[in-house]
Amino acid sequence: MCYNTHMNIIETSRRKFLQGSVSLCIYATSALSSPWQTTKTSNKKTTDTPYLCNMCRNKCAGYARVENGLITKLNPNHNFPKSRNMLCPKGNAGIQAIYDEDRLKYPLIRIGNRGDGQYKRATWDEAYEYIKEKLVKIIDEQKDNRSTIAYCNGEGFNKDEYIKFFGSKLGSANFLDEGSICLNTKLGATQLTIGDVGEMDVAGSDYMIISGANRYESLITPDSVDMIHSKQKLVVLDPRCTVTAIKADEYLPLYPGTDLAFCLSMMYIAFKEELYDKKYVNEQFDDFEKLKAHILSQKYTPEWAESKTHIPSQKIEKITREFFAASNPLYYLGRRSVWSQNDFQLRRAMVLINALAGSVNRKGGIIFGQPIKLNDEEINEPLYNNAEGRFDLDGIVYGSQKGGSWLNFREKVVSKTAPYPVKAMFIRKHNLMQNMPNIAKTKKMLEMMDLVVVLDTMPSDTAMMADVILPECTYLEREDMVVSFNRLEPSLALRNQVIESLYESRSMQDILKGLGKKLSVPLFHVSAKYDEDLQDSIKEDGLHKAFVEGGYDMAELYGYNTTQRNKRLITKQFGKEVYNSLKEKGVWYPYMDEQKELFNDFYEYYPPEKRFYTIDKKYRVNAYLKKLEKAGFDAMPTWHKYYDFNLHEDEFRVITGRYVTTTQSATANNVMLKDFEKENYLWINNNNAKRLGIKTGDSVVVMSSVSSIVIKANPTNKIAPNVLWIPHGFGIDSQEMTNAYAKGASDNMIIEDKFEKIYGCATMHETNVTLRKL
Amino acid sequence: MNFIKKIIPMKDFTLKSLMTFEKTPLNILMFILTIGLLGAFGWGVIEYLIHSHHAYNVTREHPWGLLIAMYIFFVVSSTGLCIVGSLGDVFGFKDYMAMSKRAILGSIVTILAGFAVIAFEIGHPVRMLIYNVLSPGLTSAIWWMGTLYGIYLTFMIIEFIFLMRNDMKNARIFGLTGLLVGLAAHSNLGGVFGFLNARTISNGVFYPTYFILTAFITGIYLTYLMYGFRYKMNFPEEIKKGLIGLAKIQTLLLAILMFFETWKMMTGIYGGMPGRADVVEHILHSGGFVYGEVLCGMLIPFVVMLTTKWKSINLYVYASFIGMIGIFFMRYDLVHDTQVKPLQMMKLTEYQLPPKWIEYFPSAAEFAIGFGAIGIFFMLYYFGQKMFDLDGGDH
Amino acid sequence: MANYGMAFDYKLCINCHACEVACKEENGIDLGAKNHRLWIQEETKVSGDFWNLDRDKVEFMQMQCQECQDAPCMAACPNGAIYRDNNGIVRLHKDLCDLTRACMSACPYNARYVDEKNHVTDKCIFCADTRLARGETTTACQITCPAKLRYFGNLDDPESEISKVLSSRKHFTLKPEKKTKPKLFYLE
Repeated sequence: MCYNTHMNIIETSRRKFLQGSVSLCIYATSALSSPWQTTKTSNKKTTDTPYLCNMCRNKCAGYARVENGLITKLNPNHNFPKSRNMLCPKGNAGIQAIYDEDRLKYPLIRIGNRGDGQYKRATWDEAYEYIKEKLVKIIDEQKDNRSTIAYCNGEGFNKDEYIKFFGSKLGSANFLDEGSICLNTKLGATQLTIGDVGEMDVAGSDYMIISGANRYESLITPDSVDMIHSKQKLVVLDPRCTVTAIKADEYLPLYPGTDLAFCLSMMYIAFKEELYDKKYVNEQFDDFEKLKAHILSQKYTPEWAESKTHIPSQKIEKITREFFAASNPLYYLGRRSVWSQNDFQLRRAMVLINALAGSVNRKGGIIFGQPIKLNDEEINEPLYNNAEGRFDLDGIVYGSQKGGSWLNFREKVVSKTAPYPVKAMFIRKHNLMQNMPNIAKTKKMLEMMDLVVVLDTMPSDTAMMADVILPECTYLEREDMVVSFNRLEPSLALRNQVIESLYESRSMQDILKGLGKKLSVPLFHVSAKYDEDLQDSIKEDGLHKAFVEGGYDMAELYGYNTTQRNKRLITKQFGKEVYNSLKEKGVWYPYMDEQKELFNDFYEYYPPEKRFYTIDKKYRVNAYLKKLEKAGFDAMPTWHKYYDFNLHEDEFRVITGRYVTTTQSATANNVMLKDFEKENYLWINNNNAKRLGIKTGDSVVVMSSVSSIVIKANPTNKIAPNVLWIPHGFGIDSQEMTNAYAKGASDNMIIEDKFEKIYGCATMHETNVTLRKL
Repeated sequence: MNFIKKIIPMKDFTLKSLMTFEKTPLNILMFILTIGLLGAFGWGVIEYLIHSHHAYNVTREHPWGLLIAMYIFFVVSSTGLCIVGSLGDVFGFKDYMAMSKRAILGSIVTILAGFAVIAFEIGHPVRMLIYNVLSPGLTSAIWWMGTLYGIYLTFMIIEFIFLMRNDMKNARIFGLTGLLVGLAAHSNLGGVFGFLNARTISNGVFYPTYFILTAFITGIYLTYLMYGFRYKMNFPEEIKKGLIGLAKIQTLLLAILMFFETWKMMTGIYGGMPGRADVVEHILHSGGFVYGEVLCGMLIPFVVMLTTKWKSINLYVYASFIGMIGIFFMRYDLVHDTQVKPLQMMKLTEYQLPPKWIEYFPSAAEFAIGFGAIGIFFMLYYFGQKMFDLDGGDH
Repeated sequence: MANYGMAFDYKLCINCHACEVACKEENGIDLGAKNHRLWIQEETKVSGDFWNLDRDKVEFMQMQCQECQDAPCMAACPNGAIYRDNNGIVRLHKDLCDLTRACMSACPYNARYVDEKNHVTDKCIFCADTRLARGETTTACQITCPAKLRYFGNLDDPESEISKVLSSRKHFTLKPEKKTKPKLFYLE
């Protein structure tokens, strides 16, 4: 890729935006056919910059090679315990995310209708000014109820800083993140059952059962890598024969949503045959007898489980006996979307099985470990008397106080049953229009807003709904705050800046700094109008002092840039050497000098005796959760009739997942990864397909109660009868994403927006559909 | 002009006489056909220059396509005409003396047409010419084939000059040398395929010998067509005699070819060797082989010639036309069948069934250049017979 | 000066495509399904009915130039454009390539393809003109591999990791009947 060529195309893209023409899809195929997407590295030596990847949630460490200001190659960083000296296909294709022709390059202000992609280029100041005017009006109208501004941020390093700005400084209670459309039930189940979210020690386990988590196609470091290298016996349960299932020692095909029946039966056998770790149970369990009596009395026999799951009862018995006989068994909890109403109790059942085997706080189990604690930078938080609390956890038993419940929030906004109107949204690194079920409803929610601001790197479907788009730079163009990783082999890692940010894009900190400078005083005046306490302190101290001491300067945190803040923070807490290591190697952990190559560039990081397998910690295993009982839910894992997989012959259950080359949004337009999967295919059981006359590549219409999609079919024996698999991350509706637009179909178009009531998490695998050949 | 005429005797002609011809329906048809083919060739070349190899449907798995087949078609024709031409002036068969000039001219213009095709088939033809000399790949059958064909063309031109000068002694010397070089070149072309260790179906001795045999057959078919056109089916006696002789030879050659093919297929299937037996079965089920090669290329001409008691020369001309269609399929299939079996499984994505056979169908540009080169042959042959006296067979 | 070869612990492969992307980015390979120096081949499909699948024969095989010691591509090139460099790697003099594609036809492993950018044929050369030329001792595919299943090194050095792994483990080469003597080995 020649830099000049790139700039030209960028100019075309920009013109495209400026024109704001009606149909922009003529560019749709050009980028893929262009052969000039890669640059050969030269034969010259360079000093490479350590960085942390951001293509998915893992944050693997790498070294970026830069030649003439251009990133030509990303290589794995062997110093980082978490990522084990590897980069996956997405990590390698990160270059294409930086040099994506469709990137957001300038601040943009909407001139057309929401969603039609007509924007005009603006300066940063014009964009801030636009936001200020709208925001002052909204907050004034809402009488300084700051929670009328909702803000959200998907997974990533800067989430906490983002919360500090909009939550602490601006004063809104309505923060939403990916937790309620991802893994909150798992985190909650672990936290509530053993008192900590913990970490799973895959490498130390000699026998591992995985339900549904597809660790070989949805890579998690170090779990996926450790699975490849460990000699453990691997048992996989999945309604789809994934690569993980192919590679497993034992694959147990089952119906979707019935994993809980398998777990209940494992417990039944463990109790019946007294396989559990008696010593551990005696020492750590609360309400053990209650649990035992419950499971036995419900008669969760292997035969019963077979009737629910389709797994032969002898198989269940054999696996259970092997599991409890192993020295370090692990029931892997997974970390993906919540599947069905029983998800919280499913994850809890998994934790309890681990606990029954004694696999908690020891090698090969759920470990607590000892993460490195980083000091926080203190800020001065203003108090807003008129700011109301969040409403999205109403009717939810636990729920995450931090990230809330997306579907409940959206439902209340759209149905206008929220206690106060939400008038504005700030959306960062969160593709709302693709990431949660029932896209039409998300669109409706955004259309109800007076102001939508999107901070992102790509013109995503969500960006197309914004009034103002603020272009953020990508992960290779900025330094982020230092992050602490892992519990068993803890380390610090730093995302260093590799190149200057391209175009007019800015880091989040710089964007918030600009926004803070613009908003602080005008919004302070709005508060002064309605907030009696503030009025008092102005009377007492004068305007200036009330502003400064009250903490109303929203840009307070950004007086220094990230590099300076990191240096101060790290040097103060850990010393200069740690800081230097983070700058030069990207990583620091205590035993770096002893790092040992085991074979073929695969390393041992912590010496085994230094790993935090077992720590001195008081905790109880809570078999019975009273709060749930009080709220009218199961206090212990229980099967209910409506959990049964029971479909009409013409009905299909939709499940989702990902290709190894795709993440949720970060890869949607990546030209390198698109080369592997240009569009997604609907997996359908070959016998079902035969009956319906559907062949490979046929277009089919899939209809649910909320909408329908058209997608190409892949009849295969690798999926259970009456189950459909739709890979996520396709069917992009933004015409500005020229490599992704209209390629394949989006699962969330048709997935119904149901959520479970323990954590308010969207249940992704509960939609039944019909389909026909187009 | 006079200087050239001193070297090679020519008819008296003007530019105008070159451009005029008797307006018979057949001539007009040939004129339109030639112009059309030349136009197609030109269009194909432009497509190639704009899109380079993207203009062609050749792929990683099927790197050689119609253009290679047409190149082989032309050089086989050339070698065949050279053999036919040699019967008279080299081997002294009186009956075929009259045919030498026309056949040798034919061999020159067919190989030129072949070179025109190959120039747009390989990526860097100029590099090929330079490094053929500077960096010879002596282990490469293509190098030997190309080099020997270059030498062969030179000898053919010299032979033609001596023929036109009626210097039969020198014509014989250069004819014999040219023939030997041509046969060597041609068997090396067979060797290009025969050496393909990677492709079990083609690997071995068959193609180098088969090429010589089919060249002779092609030469006879073409001689029939050239004379049929020359005399509008009213053949003078001395030509008739030669043509009848050629028909008898052709019948024998076709019989031999049929045995060749039969044994190739039988030994190919026997033993069930993968990459050979399965490909042979695939070939036996393909229309190109059954209808093109066997029916048109062998059976129809063979039956026509054998059952008409060596009398129906006119019919043999038509049979030869059908025969040439068969020859085309022999060349095309040879190239395609060599590559039809996937070397690796080539299932690269989830949604792709591993291809059992490699698919290939020529693009418009390939058709245009490949068949357009027949127009080059027509044009050169037309000018050749306008400029030279090809009928003076009595010395 | 070395005699480079590669050994694959092929059963560890999870077909994640990291090697393919790393190769394309390192060596500036064009995008497109037909342009790749290396690829992963799924041997044998999962067979049977969903509830009784046979997965045992499914393997992901690392495919690329097999670095034959008796290389048919080298013999087939009319211009002598293909040579063996002093690291034992089969290379191409780009200026000499006339794109007859004789090498492509001659290769039993389908390892060669037309590089549209440079208008010559191309194949895996163990990153010889990029990483090795910079003095590095790994290839892009080897270092990025999550399974670290690619052993790359000097076959002539008995102390190299690849030599040791080859002497201690059973291995095979592809299409041995072609007598091309590959320097790529698949570990059992």
